[in-house]
Amino acid sequence: MALNLRIDPLGPERSTLYLEGRLDAMSFGDFDKEADKVLEQMADGSTLVLDLSALDYISSAGLRSIAKARKTMRARDGHTLLVNPQVQVRKVFDIVKAVPVKEIFENVRELDDYLDRIQRRVLDGGDEVE
Amino acid sequence: MPLRSLAWRLALWVLAGATLVFVASGYALFRMVGHPLLEQAQREAGALASQGSSLVQERLDDITNTSRVLASVIGPRPLDAAPLIHDALAGNADIASLAAAFVPASTAAQEAGQSPFVSRQSDGTLAQRDLFKDPQPYWTAAWFQQGVACTQGCWHPVFWSQSRHRLLVSYSAPMLVDGKIIGVINADITLDWLQGVLSSMHLPVGTHAFVIDQQGSYLANDAIDQVGHKADAALLNQLSAPASEHRLTLQGERTWIYDQPIQGTHWKLVVAVPEALIYAQVRHAFMSVLVLGALTLLLLGLIVMITIRRTLMPLGVLAERAELVARGALDFALPRIRHCDEIGRLTHAFDRMRLELATHLEELTRVAQEQARLASELDIAQQIQTALLPGPHYLDARCHNFELFAVLKPARTVGGDLYSYFMLPNQRFCFMVGDVADKGIPAALFMARTITLAKAMASRAQSPQQLLQLINEELCRNNESCMFVTLLCGFLDVATGQMTLASAGHDPPALWGNHAPRWLPVVSGPALGLDEDASFPAMRMRLKPGDTLLAYTDGVTEAANKAMEQYGGDRLLARLGQFHDAGDETGHGDPAKFLVEDVEAFSTGHGQSDDIALLALRWNHAGLDKGTPMLDLVFPASLEKVFETLDLCEETLREAGLRSDVRADVRLVLEELMVNMVHHGHRTAGEGMIGLRMTVVKEAVLAELNHNGAPFDPLQLESPTLTGDLADRDDDGGLGIHLVRAMSSELNYTHDEDGNHLQLRFAHPTEHGHGT
Repeated sequence: MALNLRIDPLGPERSTLYLEGRLDAMSFGDFDKEADKVLEQMADGSTLVLDLSALDYISSAGLRSIAKARKTMRARDGHTLLVNPQVQVRKVFDIVKAVPVKEIFENVRELDDYLDRIQRRVLDGGDEVE
Repeated sequence: MPLRSLAWRLALWVLAGATLVFVASGYALFRMVGHPLLEQAQREAGALASQGSSLVQERLDDITNTSRVLASVIGPRPLDAAPLIHDALAGNADIASLAAAFVPASTAAQEAGQSPFVSRQSDGTLAQRDLFKDPQPYWTAAWFQQGVACTQGCWHPVFWSQSRHRLLVSYSAPMLVDGKIIGVINADITLDWLQGVLSSMHLPVGTHAFVIDQQGSYLANDAIDQVGHKADAALLNQLSAPASEHRLTLQGERTWIYDQPIQGTHWKLVVAVPEALIYAQVRHAFMSVLVLGALTLLLLGLIVMITIRRTLMPLGVLAERAELVARGALDFALPRIRHCDEIGRLTHAFDRMRLELATHLEELTRVAQEQARLASELDIAQQIQTALLPGPHYLDARCHNFELFAVLKPARTVGGDLYSYFMLPNQRFCFMVGDVADKGIPAALFMARTITLAKAMASRAQSPQQLLQLINEELCRNNESCMFVTLLCGFLDVATGQMTLASAGHDPPALWGNHAPRWLPVVSGPALGLDEDASFPAMRMRLKPGDTLLAYTDGVTEAANKAMEQYGGDRLLARLGQFHDAGDETGHGDPAKFLVEDVEAFSTGHGQSDDIALLALRWNHAGLDKGTPMLDLVFPASLEKVFETLDLCEETLREAGLRSDVRADVRLVLEELMVNMVHHGHRTAGEGMIGLRMTVVKEAVLAELNHNGAPFDPLQLESPTLTGDLADRDDDGGLGIHLVRAMSSELNYTHDEDGNHLQLRFAHPTEHGHGT
């Protein structure tokens, strides 16, 4: 199997999608289907986390799918955050400058810290930081 | 030596001319003056004759008068005869003797009683005798008979006197009394006397005078021994003619005769003048003139010679100087220019010529040095050009997969033909043969430019056609002289024998080995350097073991022999066939060397007219390098097949021991390109097919993608605008190609009638860490 997908947890505020294997021209359809499933239940201002630690490979088709998901989230004032891309995948991201660097996190803890900071800022009445 | 001098010759000719004119005019003068001179001489001679005649006549008249007077006196008085005769003889010394002879028995004779005869003795005394008493009677003598008969008195012929031993001539005058002749007065004169009269004429030397009587006897003559003799008949014959002057030959010399009768006698006085004497005068005058003329001529010659020598003296000096010039010496003094005549101008011109010659010589020396310098520069240029070329023999050292032979033979010192070969990364071997239009230094420079460009560009080019394109673009830049080069370029995969050939206007190469030699139908593009936008079709093929490829320049096929026949392509193929057949037995020789020698032998005597370059490539290896995995697939253009292939690639590369990151790079690039082909490369007819060939070589993965779809050059695509967030983009195109370009170490695209061809290379460092 080229691509395995797992959703955990699935919630309107925050959902995490685990990707494993290869996201390419063959498998991006599977991803799109799964992502749509997640996205349609996301609330405004929610956060979508894509955990890439098991993703070995990504091609331009995969990049487009991720970009599509990000566009959808942005339309809902939400965030799409990427966690722990492998060297090969990170390299592809770098080449096409796919995602702002601050939306890529080494691991889940960094991600949690980041989300905490945002939450605090919102509570303090500060502007949302991009 | 003097005769070689112009002055001498001129003087001689002038002198000769003057002499000729002088002699001619002298001769004409002689002819003109000679006749009057002759006439004058004749006049003089005639005058002399009449003068002599008058003189003789005068003296004779005395005698005849005396005799007549005596005759008239004695006639009436015969008794006084003796004393009268005696007195008359004493008074007239001219008369030798006188006689009064009476007719015998006449009254006068009886009266006189005697016939007295008085003669002058040799001592001058007078002797008298009586003729009656002579033993011989005188009245029977001839002189008396004639005297009596001659009533007017007359002269008698010469006779010899026995008593006086003299030649005498006598005159008799008759004595008349009453009309009757009573006797004769006879007067004798000696011829000696007459001779004396003649001598008193004082004739000019050489002139003769004589008196001749009616019988033709000489009475007096310059030649005394002739006196009394008869003159010769020829003379007498002339004298009997009426003219007073005659011309005849006397005693062997031509003589003019002038005669004058002596009055009162029948005698003639003759003056004889030898013709030589007459002309002697003329000759003398002429000789004087001649001598004077000769002297004048001599003087004239001397003056002419001195003048000419003096005038032409600078010419001699100039001649000597000119000889010096011929020996190369230019530093000398010239004669001073005295007059601005031809010689002055010549001297002036000579001086100028010498100066210009010196300048010219200097220039020549400079040019010669310049040429020597150029020649040495040309030699150096040749060395440099030779250094540009790799060696004539190359053996693939690593695996002996192929062997290469090359020859370059310029027609002049440097030439425009070229060959070159070198290894490229990834086990590719590049070789080329080219021919620059034109020959000599410009061609050599262009050749150097081409060969250098080729080497510099080769690493950037993925295929020979691309290399040609790159070189072409460079050569077109600033190519005002419109030089161009034909080039045949090939890339050989030294591992597989896969070869790509591209030609820029070059002759197709020949191939043999597994079959007889034949031409490879390489479709050619335009020559390099003319059209910037030119593109070049490629020909791909795989060499089989034993195949030999031969590339050459037209110097081979257009080599001509003495009969102006060209070597030609057919002969080339035939000779290669013979070479190949011979090679089976003797082992593999050097085809390039063989061909060059054959062409040389063919064109013996005609010479090489064009540069010759030859390159032969022999492929020995049968298979692949061991342990070099390879994929060579052709499949329909569908996503399923693409991903099947990608998996196969992945597997193959893993087996080849490639690192995962390299594998992923390769996979990404191949996926992007192939998915693109599936999505965008639709053909209007037929099924889309994708060909993939992959090779792992040392430190690199080579991949070749072929697709028979619509032309699509990923290299020409603009880079996408990257904002830092893909989600910002409205269109999502171009990302894949961007990745491809970033991921592959090299990418090369060509398009031909078979479709698109992409050549890719991925560096794969085996020992060190990942390059990115």
